[in-house]
Amino acid sequence: MTDAVVTGEQSEVDQGRRKFLTVATAATAAAGAVFAISPFIASWEPSERARALGAPVTVDLSKLDVGQMVTYVWRRQPIYIFKRSPQMVASLPTHDARLKDPQSKDSEQPSYALNERRSRRIDIAVLIATCTHLGCLPKQHFDVGDAVLGTDWPGGFLCPCHGSRFDMAGRVFNGSPASTNLRIPPYSFVNENTLLIGQDESGAKEAA
Amino acid sequence: MANQDAQYSPGVWGWLNKRMPVQKFMREQLLEYYAPKNFNVWYFFGSLALVVLVMQLFTGIFLTMFYKVGDSSAFDSVEYIMREVDYGWLIRYLHTTGASAFFIVVYLHMYRSIMYGSYKAPRELLWLFGMFIYLALMAEAFMGYVLPWGNMSYWAAQVIINLFSTIPLIGPGLVEWIRGDYGVADATVDRFFALHVVAIPLVLLLLVTLHLVALRQVGSNNPEGIEIKGNLGADGKPVDGIPFHPYYTVKDVFGIGVFLTLFAIVVFFVPTFGNLFMEEANFEPANPLSTPEPIAPSWYFTPYYAILRAVPNQRLGALLLLIAVLAFFFLPWLDRSPVKSVRYRGALFRGFLAIFTVSFLTLMYLGLKPATGAYVTAARVAAIGYFSFFLLMPWYSRADRTKPVPQRLRSHA
Amino acid sequence: MRNVILAVVVLGLAQCLQVSVAAEEGPGPLAWEEWHAGNEVANTDSLQRGARNFVNYCSGCHSIKYMRYSRMAKDLKIPTEQLKAYLLPAGATPADYFQASIAPADAIAWFGKEPPDLSLVARSRGPDKIYRFLKTFYLDPSRPTRSNNLVLNNPAMPPVLSDLEGVKAAVFKNKQFDHFVSVSPGQMTAEQFDGFVRDTVNFLDYAGEPAQLNRLSIGVWVVLFLLLFTWLAWLLKKEYWKDIH
Repeated sequence: MTDAVVTGEQSEVDQGRRKFLTVATAATAAAGAVFAISPFIASWEPSERARALGAPVTVDLSKLDVGQMVTYVWRRQPIYIFKRSPQMVASLPTHDARLKDPQSKDSEQPSYALNERRSRRIDIAVLIATCTHLGCLPKQHFDVGDAVLGTDWPGGFLCPCHGSRFDMAGRVFNGSPASTNLRIPPYSFVNENTLLIGQDESGAKEAA
Repeated sequence: MANQDAQYSPGVWGWLNKRMPVQKFMREQLLEYYAPKNFNVWYFFGSLALVVLVMQLFTGIFLTMFYKVGDSSAFDSVEYIMREVDYGWLIRYLHTTGASAFFIVVYLHMYRSIMYGSYKAPRELLWLFGMFIYLALMAEAFMGYVLPWGNMSYWAAQVIINLFSTIPLIGPGLVEWIRGDYGVADATVDRFFALHVVAIPLVLLLLVTLHLVALRQVGSNNPEGIEIKGNLGADGKPVDGIPFHPYYTVKDVFGIGVFLTLFAIVVFFVPTFGNLFMEEANFEPANPLSTPEPIAPSWYFTPYYAILRAVPNQRLGALLLLIAVLAFFFLPWLDRSPVKSVRYRGALFRGFLAIFTVSFLTLMYLGLKPATGAYVTAARVAAIGYFSFFLLMPWYSRADRTKPVPQRLRSHA
Repeated sequence: MRNVILAVVVLGLAQCLQVSVAAEEGPGPLAWEEWHAGNEVANTDSLQRGARNFVNYCSGCHSIKYMRYSRMAKDLKIPTEQLKAYLLPAGATPADYFQASIAPADAIAWFGKEPPDLSLVARSRGPDKIYRFLKTFYLDPSRPTRSNNLVLNNPAMPPVLSDLEGVKAAVFKNKQFDHFVSVSPGQMTAEQFDGFVRDTVNFLDYAGEPAQLNRLSIGVWVVLFLLLFTWLAWLLKKEYWKDIH
């Protein structure tokens, strides 16, 4: 009888084959581990229920007056919807110099909202309310020359958390901690008085 | 002392090993751990049990992310997992199949020890830790079974908890205390959840660690039942031992491959496994007004369930059930044979082992059948066979005509 | 009422002819307990028909509360326009769960109990049992629904498919069911009705576990991959164990 192990130094042992099989098995196991882990990673995606709850939200605009704002929730995010007067819209380009991103080049919005007033329709503004700084909800300060924000305030929003300021198109003012304008969700108008948040096209053509 | 650093290789690996003995640990536990060279197929199940444990922990953690405990939300949340969570169905089937797979490998692992006398000195403590793992596993499986809050969950909880009512004096009060209500209810499923996902897994991990530490101390037994440490070579290594790594690591990897293939076939093609791994009645929500018919526990509990039903007395039935489980703990002291492995035992032990094997499997089958007529009679006969293996062991293991055990292992299997 | 009279006549006739019928018809009683649904969940056309059958004949009373219309449409390859036009009840959105049209209170008033949700019926009872249930309704004038069933004695459920299948009576011998006798024909032939029931059962089978559509196809790849891995591990094991004698 000999020892159990005859060490691999003998000539009959093919070290190349041994190495190849070790690498091949290990590589297959590694690939298998990646396959095995992927369903667990996928399980963290928004579930069927979350996706269903994230369906487009319909907003009735018939009772929305000029200077008035309503808040809806779409995909767990508060959405500000407000009606601007022609004067408010007209005043928007006058303070471009005080804005960080007046042309919204670095900000997120659908292509149809990439314009001076940042909206599909001239009067109706639709903004994702979460501040682009750290996610608080900016407060409504629509009055021109607001007591808190000074005589040159053109109307807009002030974030209570860190003081970011936005105008009536959600554009961020210089000196704010936020660096981009408020984001705009995809939306469309089903008809004159019905807004659909979360869906680009709904059959009805854009009114503006 | 001055050139102490010389023993550490440069780079991150050396940095790490200077601060924590990673390399030393791996060398001692794998390269310098000598295992008998003659392990056969029965020796796969220890490493497979470890694989299943890890899988159960992993899938279980993910299930807790989506499961909602409570009598009004548990069932709905399980269907939410099955339908609305991406790959939730896969995670759940892995977990349910894993529960049954756990018992399959653990039963085979235990049977291996009985065949080859692995519970005998010096491995009594190793065996006891294993038995405590088995007990913890039973508690873990039972409580996990209650969580989906299907109708079988409810009635399993009802029946198993009521077993405690047979304890004299404190029984009825104890049952109420375990349930936390006057019947199985929201409070019950809540506490079972906590025990299932936190308390018992911690106990299991501790016990598995102790089991492995004890194994490392005494070394593995083998099919011949010969201590390889009794034959050391000139270099101080057992001549019939081979380094665990690479020989048993590559062998176990192959075993894991075979196991995972069979496991995947069940998970993807027959996850209910013909009503054995997941029962039809558990796809109906818990209903305290309707006992499912037919009702049977999970297959891994049916041997004990059959014993319980074979006895026409409530208290005695519960007592025999308890003894049937605990009998395994005493094997190291019931067995008086001078040899370990069945290969060198005589006809008596082999005969009783055969009786035990047939009895256990018969009881397992009968536990799934209704408790009527010939089934009960058969269960009584099988129960006698089951207990005789343990109770008569001090006699037959000593009276047995054993064969002489050789000094050295024969060549590997 | 006409059906009832007819049934009584037929039943009476059948009782009279019982002996001679048994003598003439060689085979024993109808082996309905051995019927199998034989449905194929992979058959999308069958599932689509089954979904239509369910919406037309079952969803009045039965919900599938864990199943969304949108999920079904995706799995069964039903375009959204068709879903909205033919399957979606008024006022429901595609993301809604399958709801019964009937209010629970009305259901209890009419049937004595709330019709069960059918999300998991195929898992808790099995497709075969549903198939047998739907195919063994028979005329029983003694009951409020004028109908009884071989699988579920005295069901609260009325024979909603009798317009399609026709009405049949059951002939009993020594209180044991023997066979059915047609009382009045339905809109469908026996084969058509059998297909109708099979499609419906198929849909319920799918609804019990929508994931099974993916499960089987993913499983093939997983098992093939594991076989490859096991083969490599076997070669590796053999290679190293050359050392051991």
